[in-house]
Amino acid sequence: MSSLALMRWLEGRPERYDAGMRVLTCGRIARLHAAVAEAAVRSAGDHVLEIGCGTGTVTTLLHARGAHVTAIDQAPEMLEQARLRLPDDESIVWIEQTAAEIDRLPPSRFDAVVLCLCLSDMSPNERAFVLREAVLRLAPGGRVVAADEVRPNGWRGWLQRLWRIPQAALGWLLVGSLSRPIRDLAGELQAVGLRVSGAGTWLLGTLELVVGEREP
Amino acid sequence: MSPSLGLRVRDWGLEILQTAFRLLPWPTEPGLRSIGTPDESSPVLLTCNYALTVRRLVATLEGCDAWLVVAPTAGINVWCAAAGGHMSTHQIVSALKTSGVAERVRHRDVILPQLAATGVLALEVFRRCRWRVRFGPVSASDLPAYLASGEKTDAMRRIRFSLRDRLEMAASWAAPTALVVGGGALFIRPEWALPLMGLVVAMAVLVFNVYDRLGPRRKTTFALGASVAALAVTWLAGGAAAALATAAIAACFVSALLTYDYTGSTPIEGGSHFEERRWTIAFDLERCDGIFRCWEVCPEACFEKLESERKVALAHDDRCIRCGACIVQCPQDALFFEDEAGARIEPDVIRKYKLNLLGRRSIDAH
Ligand code: SF4
Ligand code: SF4
Repeated sequence: MSSLALMRWLEGRPERYDAGMRVLTCGRIARLHAAVAEAAVRSAGDHVLEIGCGTGTVTTLLHARGAHVTAIDQAPEMLEQARLRLPDDESIVWIEQTAAEIDRLPPSRFDAVVLCLCLSDMSPNERAFVLREAVLRLAPGGRVVAADEVRPNGWRGWLQRLWRIPQAALGWLLVGSLSRPIRDLAGELQAVGLRVSGAGTWLLGTLELVVGEREP
Repeated sequence: MSPSLGLRVRDWGLEILQTAFRLLPWPTEPGLRSIGTPDESSPVLLTCNYALTVRRLVATLEGCDAWLVVAPTAGINVWCAAAGGHMSTHQIVSALKTSGVAERVRHRDVILPQLAATGVLALEVFRRCRWRVRFGPVSASDLPAYLASGEKTDAMRRIRFSLRDRLEMAASWAAPTALVVGGGALFIRPEWALPLMGLVVAMAVLVFNVYDRLGPRRKTTFALGASVAALAVTWLAGGAAAALATAAIAACFVSALLTYDYTGSTPIEGGSHFEERRWTIAFDLERCDGIFRCWEVCPEACFEKLESERKVALAHDDRCIRCGACIVQCPQDALFFEDEAGARIEPDVIRKYKLNLLGRRSIDAH
């Protein structure tokens, strides 16, 4: 869960990041990652743009499914760690830049744009901009695959709020940072003209995967 | 209650709460705000999304017409965010690109608070999004005058540690510490809770107001002075041996904590890391080509312009608080730090170090 306070702390420590994330999400993170890769790569040779690749966990899965991956992240340490995990060949391009600089990438190029646990780190403005630009990077028939921490309805939402209080306190104390769960992930994808075609949830509905298709 | 009075009461409440607990982040919504009735040629200001800063800034700018971009800096104030990786080149580029400000103005000049210069690489912002960064005054209260004249006076460049700043720092240190100390005492000797909280508050007010005037052995002087005063007050109040001992120990403990923290949280002594406190600023005159970036960003006015030669002089290096802003911004790599042994710490290392604390920033982005 990207918004976990501890994750902020782990972010500064890429070598511990993956193990930490597994513990924090009771192992669900691995299933989410697998689902993201499966939704993103329909056939070997697909071109996938991964925004906020972190230590390259999802990148590895995308690569294993035969995709050509362009992976961007603004944290050099994360990229360094990611590079170590993957072969140094033409099928992967690493770019150190912010998500907002997505508009520097060629338009209509990618079969899929992957945003795994990075949208909740962005402000609403940033999210809207990045999603709008992501759609422009998609080839006809391409898709945005977004997975993130969301706020479920009803009692689950309240349970999540309670669960987040100690994390919030810890996050403030450790690094003074906190991201917020997204209220309506599918709605944000629809708002940029994507047709929402698939979804899945994990951890009592607090982690959600949404696929938005660009019309062919 | 009229709504405006209600609003004012709420604002005051927030002001007090956020001042007392300013060490915590107080995020406010990032994005573009208009101040007055700005048009396509109005100035663009950018600041952090620390609620206290934004509220004060908006109040200060009453009567001006400007655009204000509030960048997502995790609800942390400018100086801490710039030093801690939350107000870096990345956040600035992202805020400028995504806030929609580019569609509102014809120019591409953005004014950042001067204290952001430690974390934001102006040249890199320009390279990545074509916005020219100017570093405005240190204090928001100087903004109206700066906007009106377009000139940054010497006083606007220098960090002030006014009585108000000192009291606010004291409050922000005392409030959480007094709560912890008082809360702890409640479990052991409830009747000691209030006196101990009083001790914390008194020492915080003292340290932020007199400490920098105490001379070279100030740590010891302050600890001794505080212990003697605490003992005297406890004795006058009729405290027994246990109370006297607690007062002395508490005074020493709080004093140690305060004087250590003081260094990192005030502009008097720079460098929150121990090793860094021993660095000195150094200058390679040969390389300098007089762009005066260093002069523009130094919060202690260590530099003087030598206009005739198009060079600067490092005229007041004794004032340096090792913020690193000049080194980070110098396009010629003419400035660097030297450690105790006189070894040179290269500008690139400083940039990485100053710009990379949380693994979020790097200058060689591409
Ligand atoms: S920024 Fe560097 S080159 Fe420019 S005046 Fe200062 S020292 Fe000289
Ligand atoms: S001379 Fe010292 S105080 Fe001035 S900008 Fe450089 S490092 Fe900061």
